[in-house]
Amino acid sequence: MRYVTGTLGRILMLSAGVIALLAVDSRSAAAQWSTTYEQFYLPGSFNWEFRRSYPAADKLFNAFDYGHAILYERLYTQPNAPASVLEEKEYDFITRKLLRNPPRVPLEEAAIEVQYAKLAPEAKMMFEWAHLLHRQIYDVWADERLNVAEKDRLVGDLLSYYRSRKDLAFSTVPKTMDLMEGQYYATAFRERYPKFNGLIWAYHWLQVGLYEPLIRGESSAERQTGVVAAVARFWQMLESPPDGMPVIMPMTAAISPAFAERYPDAAIIFDNLHSMHDVISDILASPKVPRNRKRAEILKAAGRYRDDTSFVMTRAEARRWISCPIFRPRLWLAVPSTPEITARMLPRQLQHPPPRRLLTCMARHPRLPSRRHTRMAIRRRPGRRWPGWTTAQCTRKPSRLTR
Amino acid sequence: MKYECSRVCARRLLSHAIMATTMTLGASTAFAQTDYYNTDAGRPLLIEDAYATERYAFELKVASFSLERLSRGRYNAGLEPEIAYGILPRTHVEIGLPLAFADIGDGSTRSGIAGLELSAFHNLNVETRTLPALGLRTDVLFPVGALGPDRTYMALKGIATRTFSAARIHVNGQYTFGSDPAEGANHVELPRWLGGVAVDKTLPLKSLLLSAGFFAKQSLERAEDPDYNVEAGFRYQTSPSFLLDAGLGHTLTGPERGWSFTFGTTLAFAARSLMPVRSGR
Repeated sequence: MRYVTGTLGRILMLSAGVIALLAVDSRSAAAQWSTTYEQFYLPGSFNWEFRRSYPAADKLFNAFDYGHAILYERLYTQPNAPASVLEEKEYDFITRKLLRNPPRVPLEEAAIEVQYAKLAPEAKMMFEWAHLLHRQIYDVWADERLNVAEKDRLVGDLLSYYRSRKDLAFSTVPKTMDLMEGQYYATAFRERYPKFNGLIWAYHWLQVGLYEPLIRGESSAERQTGVVAAVARFWQMLESPPDGMPVIMPMTAAISPAFAERYPDAAIIFDNLHSMHDVISDILASPKVPRNRKRAEILKAAGRYRDDTSFVMTRAEARRWISCPIFRPRLWLAVPSTPEITARMLPRQLQHPPPRRLLTCMARHPRLPSRRHTRMAIRRRPGRRWPGWTTAQCTRKPSRLTR
Repeated sequence: MKYECSRVCARRLLSHAIMATTMTLGASTAFAQTDYYNTDAGRPLLIEDAYATERYAFELKVASFSLERLSRGRYNAGLEPEIAYGILPRTHVEIGLPLAFADIGDGSTRSGIAGLELSAFHNLNVETRTLPALGLRTDVLFPVGALGPDRTYMALKGIATRTFSAARIHVNGQYTFGSDPAEGANHVELPRWLGGVAVDKTLPLKSLLLSAGFFAKQSLERAEDPDYNVEAGFRYQTSPSFLLDAGLGHTLTGPERGWSFTFGTTLAFAARSLMPVRSGR
């Protein structure tokens, strides 16, 4: 190597020095070798259909990515920071700015949760893989060119593709609440950060809640109306935090019963996904988990959520458990499939039903139809009634709206 | 790949690049998500990160245009369409067909294929708290086309990526094997060796990556001293499946202390028949 002299030698030494700097701590290198990897989602004519047909709701999910990511990053990098960092600073940024002007494209979470992504890349990838499934099922059901049988077949394909990644796929067996609530670190996050926890549960409510209008809507207009109503309901949850937010983890079968009945495997996957979100929040927030045990606990929980044997219950037990009355008054069970239910799902101020055309228009609007925008739109059409709707229908069971 | 050419051919290349970009932007079918966060060599910086294309993904780079202004008003230019495929976990293969419009010295230009480039990239590991992400890349340049090299060359590159809250740092080191090109043979852009560092700053809510880098390289001819270069650029995701990048570079030392400009677009898609799902449309 006669050329490894002079300048080249200096450059190689410099490079070696930089590499040495990059490899911060080699003492536990063996324990930190990770070979997880990204994989493309299933291509098809339905790709990005939800983005095209429901841009406002789609953009919200981009903003949700930020909320999940910044939560883990703050919990891991600032364990002793005052609760106000998340409960006020981040919460206000998310709800006042980000959700109202959500990003155009799905976010690169590794650029937000930089340190967390290095702590547990395997768990991060599990979330991304499941979020892909979420979005692809929206795409299938948003594609008006497909009939119901084709949608069912495609969702089956999506599930098959999802489960082909054994290292990332959540189990399709229901897990008991012990896995989430029975651990020594359980509830640490929600006790210290009730408002942010409510925000995450509101995210999860909408993520599963959108399936119901997509599935139960009998026409494109009904689906559009239902999605707008579900998004409006999400905004209503944020009005008086944490009181207006879900007080227990939203379960798919309770929020979207038609979806859970049609695709029970997917519903269980999403429940396990959302449950593991909470578990990781607890692990990161709990002072009972030493900092050098965070990764091990996260990977342990991740393994339990992937396997079909630990902390399991039968589907019948899960159904009985979810039908427990405790869920009903506290969650907003019905996502609209009819104009009447649609009206119930809207904020109380909007219970005079707006014209379907207006709601459809709002759903297509690139900006989020925030409650303020919706209210302004309704105000411009005072006294307007949609034929066939009555005030009684619109205000039926308002307690479900406002708790 | 870069070749000397006149201002005329440089303008022609630029128009080709703009046309290709327009065609790509007009494409209505977008299947999958590109990734502005993970960089590729020359897109826009020569220094790249240690991550491969996602498994099963195709990345079509149709308008990879470069223009270099040398001393005395001469230009080097190139257009290199490439396609990469995530063939295995953390591994992609790539094929590139550089097109050149070269000045042959008497005021006229000639154009043609300037070699066939095959690459394989393997990411050894994902970055963790204790280790940077590490990657290996092999490039083979075959003597294909009128403006191609006189023989086959193979290069090996080692890559490390480390992410900090403020920025991401990439270190690349590359060596090209094989004897010197024969006298009078076409110029080969592969360096005999290359070493460099790049820093990225991500603006995640805008899907924008800003990069700056420094590298030193020695040409295959070996007679020349190594030259030192700085470069800066950005990658911007315009939609889930489409990406723009552009960069500007400057050679600080050596006989040709010029400026260079790169522009590129990437479209991502996937082929269902290559995926592990049998039924469906």
